[in-house]
Amino acid sequence: MSQMLSPDMTIAAEAVTKAKIEVKNLNFYYGQSKALKDITLSLPERSVTAFIGPSGCGKSTLLRVFNRIYELYPKQTAEGQVLLDGQNILDRSQDLNLLRTKIGMVFQKPTPFPMSIYENIAFGVRLYEKISKAEMDGRVEQALKRAALWTEVKDKLNASGLSLSGGQQQRLCIARTVAVKPEVILLDEPASALDPLSTAKIEELIDELQADYTIVIVTHNMQQAARVSKQTAFMYLGELVEFDRTEKIFTSPREKRTQDYITGRFG
Amino acid sequence: MSAVQEALPAVRSSRDATVRRFALTDAIFHATTRAAAILVLVLLGGVAISLFAGSWQALSTFGFSFLTSESWNPVTEKFGALAPIYGTIITSAIAILIAVPLGIGIAIFLTELCPRPLRRPIGMAVELLAGIPSIIYGIWGLFVLAPFLQTTVQPFIISVFHGIPGLNGLFAGPPYGIGLLTSAMILAIMILPFITSITKDVFDTVPSVLKESAYGIGCTTWEVTRRVVIPYTRIGIMGGIMLALGRALGETMAVTFVIGNAHRISTSLFAPATTISATIANEFTEAVGDLYTSSLVALGLILFVITFLILAIARYMLMRIDARTGA
Repeated sequence: MSQMLSPDMTIAAEAVTKAKIEVKNLNFYYGQSKALKDITLSLPERSVTAFIGPSGCGKSTLLRVFNRIYELYPKQTAEGQVLLDGQNILDRSQDLNLLRTKIGMVFQKPTPFPMSIYENIAFGVRLYEKISKAEMDGRVEQALKRAALWTEVKDKLNASGLSLSGGQQQRLCIARTVAVKPEVILLDEPASALDPLSTAKIEELIDELQADYTIVIVTHNMQQAARVSKQTAFMYLGELVEFDRTEKIFTSPREKRTQDYITGRFG
Repeated sequence: MSAVQEALPAVRSSRDATVRRFALTDAIFHATTRAAAILVLVLLGGVAISLFAGSWQALSTFGFSFLTSESWNPVTEKFGALAPIYGTIITSAIAILIAVPLGIGIAIFLTELCPRPLRRPIGMAVELLAGIPSIIYGIWGLFVLAPFLQTTVQPFIISVFHGIPGLNGLFAGPPYGIGLLTSAMILAIMILPFITSITKDVFDTVPSVLKESAYGIGCTTWEVTRRVVIPYTRIGIMGGIMLALGRALGETMAVTFVIGNAHRISTSLFAPATTISATIANEFTEAVGDLYTSSLVALGLILFVITFLILAIARYMLMRIDARTGA
């Protein structure tokens, strides 16, 4: 199946720019059970790629391979290659902390750290850069502006990150991720816990961020995938069923299973 | 149709009887459980009242000076509680200073770093420490730890700090082996399992996605622990420390063995001293006069008030973290 698909995948990639992340024959295991089956795809630079599919299809798992966050848990193993700018990040010698500064991640639920709004952003920056207070102020402001949160919080930067609303917390998490200047941003259903207004703000933000970052978003919401992404990958039961330009996937998918899923016949 | 209507009154009356029977058993059930709950309050009140009553003679004789006087003289019947209070607080404080970093370290290792197969054995070993009867800590402290400290550690420390202002006072005098520091070390071992297991439990309440997002911006385990896990669980850790402190303050048997039982306030941590509970345990049998007995009860009252306050603070703190994780 995947061999048959691979020519199309490279076409989708070439249509935009060069590949930022290339996944080659990736298998992933939770203990004995295989969650990803021979995934091969390549994600173009500075553009939004969406992973869609029913629950348990492996889309979040695939996302979690890109920053190797799965390694926090025992018995989760990945085989194959994931190339970031041509470097295999699954290599043993890959420094995990360095990798995670290059590949930021935002989770389904907002996860502000138990500290002030200012510190939530400054914390990550300070880990890898020694900069003055004035520079830090600039970085925090810039990150909050990028996340469209600055006007709402500029007068209460010392308030706890937990005091914000859910939508604001999620934008704070995006600001925090942007502030460490990653190259890739992974979004794991970033809007599924938010109301429609906050969702709209997040989507607008994603649209702006793709000018500078390679963005991968996992979503349950097909309209959202259609709205924000340039390419879409449809996954089912651990397999990559179809990967193509978003409008192609949603208007004339090649696979019957994709067609069935996007028209709501299952999933 | 008509048969059903005829049967109805009979069904109704038997049902009424059942309801009445249930009401009665339910009332008995209510009353017994309520009585059991009230019994706890009565016991607590009874202990408090008898402590007050028993200590009245001493408190009215010595007044406030009972708390501030250091002398403890059964012959002249002059009693002051300052030395045992000092001993109690200093040994407990040092025990906390030793046990908290150790306990938190163990908890961090167990929750964040430990290879899975080692997790249970280490966790169980720590819990087993809590199961050792305090008398065993006492004899171990007296026959093993104290001689070891006396012959090796204490002479070394005394010689190292000799002539350094401040510190030479803290580690001075002949190495007895038994004394404040030895008691504090035994107490530290005894409270270690409390601190470890409560800290481990509150660390487990940290949402994994919060830790993931900290790792996700490139934090090391140290940074995640220091900046995210500990701040998030701060209140719970404080609660655990308070519970351990309550335990350390009241510990009697092990301390009585190794404290030296001297009613003296000394700046040296190697000097023999006494604690409230050790004094009571040691002297109750020889307390002949009423005033002597009353003074010992008054010591008990002081300990009761101190531990009650500490435990109340601990409960309050643990309640706050529960409320937050529930939300």
